[in-house]
Amino acid sequence: MRILTLLLALLAGCAAVPPGVPPAPPAPPQENLAVASLVDSAHNEAAAGRLASAAASLERALRIEPRNPRLWRELAAVRMQQGEYAQAESLAARSNAWAGSDAQLRAENWRLIARSRDARGDADGARAANETAERYAR
Amino acid sequence: MRANQRLAANARQAGTACGHRFRRLSATHLAPGRRLRQSKIGPMVRRARWRRAVWFGLLALAVLAAGYTVFLDFRVRHEFEGRRFALPARIYARPLELHVGLRIPEADVVRELDALGYRTQAREGESGWYVRNGNQLDIAARPFVFWDGPQPARRMRVTFDGDAVSALRDMQGADLPLARLEPIAIGGIYPTNNEDRVLVRLGEVPKSLIDELIAVEDRRFYTHWGFDPRALARASLSLFTGRVEGGSTLTQQLVKNFFLTPERTIQRKLTELVMAVLLELHYSKQEILETYLNEIYLGQDRDRAIHGVGLAAQFYFGKEVHSLTLEESALLVALVKGPGYYDPYRHPRRALERRNLVLRETKDEGIITAAQYEAARATPLGLKAKPGTGTSPYPAFVQLVHRQLREDYDDADLRSEGLRIFTTLDPRVQAAAEHALTDRLAQFDRQKRFGAPGLEGAVVIADPQTGEVQALVGGRETTFRGFNRALDTARPVGSLLKPAIYLTALADPSHYTLATPLDDSPFVWKARGAEDWRPANYDRRFHGAVPLIVALEQSYNVAAARLGTGLGVERVIATARKLGIERDLPPYAATLLGAVALSPFEVAQMYQTIASGGFRSPLHAIRDVTTQDGTPLKRYPLAVEQAFPPEPVYLLVAALQGVVRQGTAQSLAQWLPPEIGAAGKTGTTNDQRDAWFAGFTGDHVGVVWVGYDDDRAARLLGASAALPVWGEAMAALQPEPLALPLPEGVEQAWIDPQTGLLADSGCAGAMQLPFAAGSAPTARAPSCAGVAVGERVKSWFERIFGL
Repeated sequence: MRILTLLLALLAGCAAVPPGVPPAPPAPPQENLAVASLVDSAHNEAAAGRLASAAASLERALRIEPRNPRLWRELAAVRMQQGEYAQAESLAARSNAWAGSDAQLRAENWRLIARSRDARGDADGARAANETAERYAR
Repeated sequence: MRANQRLAANARQAGTACGHRFRRLSATHLAPGRRLRQSKIGPMVRRARWRRAVWFGLLALAVLAAGYTVFLDFRVRHEFEGRRFALPARIYARPLELHVGLRIPEADVVRELDALGYRTQAREGESGWYVRNGNQLDIAARPFVFWDGPQPARRMRVTFDGDAVSALRDMQGADLPLARLEPIAIGGIYPTNNEDRVLVRLGEVPKSLIDELIAVEDRRFYTHWGFDPRALARASLSLFTGRVEGGSTLTQQLVKNFFLTPERTIQRKLTELVMAVLLELHYSKQEILETYLNEIYLGQDRDRAIHGVGLAAQFYFGKEVHSLTLEESALLVALVKGPGYYDPYRHPRRALERRNLVLRETKDEGIITAAQYEAARATPLGLKAKPGTGTSPYPAFVQLVHRQLREDYDDADLRSEGLRIFTTLDPRVQAAAEHALTDRLAQFDRQKRFGAPGLEGAVVIADPQTGEVQALVGGRETTFRGFNRALDTARPVGSLLKPAIYLTALADPSHYTLATPLDDSPFVWKARGAEDWRPANYDRRFHGAVPLIVALEQSYNVAAARLGTGLGVERVIATARKLGIERDLPPYAATLLGAVALSPFEVAQMYQTIASGGFRSPLHAIRDVTTQDGTPLKRYPLAVEQAFPPEPVYLLVAALQGVVRQGTAQSLAQWLPPEIGAAGKTGTTNDQRDAWFAGFTGDHVGVVWVGYDDDRAARLLGASAALPVWGEAMAALQPEPLALPLPEGVEQAWIDPQTGLLADSGCAGAMQLPFAAGSAPTARAPSCAGVAVGERVKSWFERIFGL
């Protein structure tokens, strides 16, 4: 739930590009209604605690837009909530792969990677990931 | 009384499990009549004591008969109670999800609807049909229970523009974000006798069907005690005429199907009769009828036996049993007498006559009016267009599903629990793969282009982003459930393994870049206890110093062998393992050039990892599993593991795109335009026994193998035998362009092909190559303007890049 809130805050915050970071191109060229509706379902399902359904909805969205880094990011967040920490990290890395110049998204992915490593007892790895996140957030 | 209570309890159970508690016995399960016959024959007695002996005999007979009845009673109850029909696991393709922007030709949506058995005429109030109207498609989609819950029937209008969906609306004109069609059923995992059924509850069966059944098969069903004396008398009379026939009540028919062998003897008839009475004693008419409707054999679909009205309604009419019309029900009742003889596909006239007879008898019984009769009689059979394809039209894919399921489920459960398996098969991709393989192989045979006819092949196509298997072809006889070459043939892969060598090198950017010169001069590899290894190039020449990207594009063996042995065979094998090859590869130098046997499926896994930029997703064929009533059991979620950092994979993919653009796979341009930017690798093995092509676009990664089962040399080349199959399959799918995201740590540099040093983009012949950050050359080439091309011996760079 906390993660979801963070995520929503992140998505909302994406509109404002911090100074010094090149403006991020909008990830999907145009809002795809189908993807938007599936992401809505995923949010509702996650809010209701139906994480497996939320993941399934996001996977459906990814089949439509496999290059949308935000979808990978959302799936990473759901996996994190499911306690699938290793998967969460891989999916966040996948999101980074498509993130282009969206530094904000990269920063958030790295924070998620840090939390995932933390949860697995990898404190050093978590610290390194947090530092990377800070670099992007600046 | 106690029996009644138990029945009530059963009925409550039946509320959820319907007729589920009955199971058919196997045919080997006894013929009790034989035992009776043997034990009936008593010892011979003397004449003088005949009277006593007769009494004794009769007593013994009575005891035996009573005992036998008790035995039968035990069997009837034991077998009927707590037992269930074995329900095969049902396997579905991926559902087609329509949305604005989806790139799919209208014809492909129509093909999907046809495969679903949708009718091509509007039927108001019903679902399961579509109407084409110019570039518009009106669909009345059936309801379906998906993994994530039931989806009601819905009407929609799909508008196409070119080969894409341009609008998707409901019938009020409101935009629909997404419409998921029901998935095509592509097979099952059947009980050993391939008996298939879809259980229905009595309440779902239309009254007309039950009325017709009773009118034709057993008019006194509701009043008799399991047998019909009048009918029995008729049948007994006919005994003396030599034919045992008719006279069976529904109860007797059920007993016969459930317990008895088909032999026609008086003994069997008697046993059947006793058991029918016992059945009636223990169970209500409703329960007997429900079980009958689920048990009855109503048709044959090649090797699959169609049982029960639920499946028969789907099989013949493509609809749920509750929506059958009067005349459709009548056809099912007509089939009870002989599904083969009255097969409506093979003998439509015979079936129609029998159906109309059913309707007439129903009218004669006063159940339908003369007007209803006339209207129904005048209606054509109205069968679904496609008569089915046996247990599966895609046996190779179903085999993969079955194997992956067996990791989590008992085989017995798969064959009896009625699980619903939602898979990743994309029928469009499968059709493209099948056509490409069978057409090409047939053409090769006709042209006698390779060896003798009988060339075989296999295709695997997956989604590079998710690892979902979209198509699997196990041989040129695509509907034959036999040797699955996609999974079970292991053949030397030749040059298909080379990307593992180059990836190992490119992961070390301080030593290797795409521009690094490699040595393609004669090479001998000496290892203790092994013969010297002298790899040769396909053109039997050596090419001197060649840039790394060119060595891969042209598939030079010697340069690759020298590079691989220099890096260390073990390291290259470790790379192959990270790419997803789980099989142990022998640590010999010859492994580098593909002297290891892999299945097309394993190769597809390796190329999936490359195609996704280094993220390995295990190739999988299953998305979800639910119980028969739709309760979710298990999901197989998208799994991703980052096997390599993005930079070296990006460089490797750039080189593999070069293979298609200007290397050994140039001929792919016949099928795919250059803007697709496909990447791939050809593979040809010693003596040209095996031809391979593995490659990917933005949305498909595919592997094709072509060769002979008996491993004979066939003058096969990857580029001439396997590549055309790949190209044809991909062209049919209108693939997404391949656009790997540029990793942060990759920069582009213009290189002077002559010197391998930095050049200006304006220089003639300068080429742009990607480099891992900091690995690009720093020295500048001498001014390009001063070089007079053609005056000097051309370097390898020049020759390759066509200067």
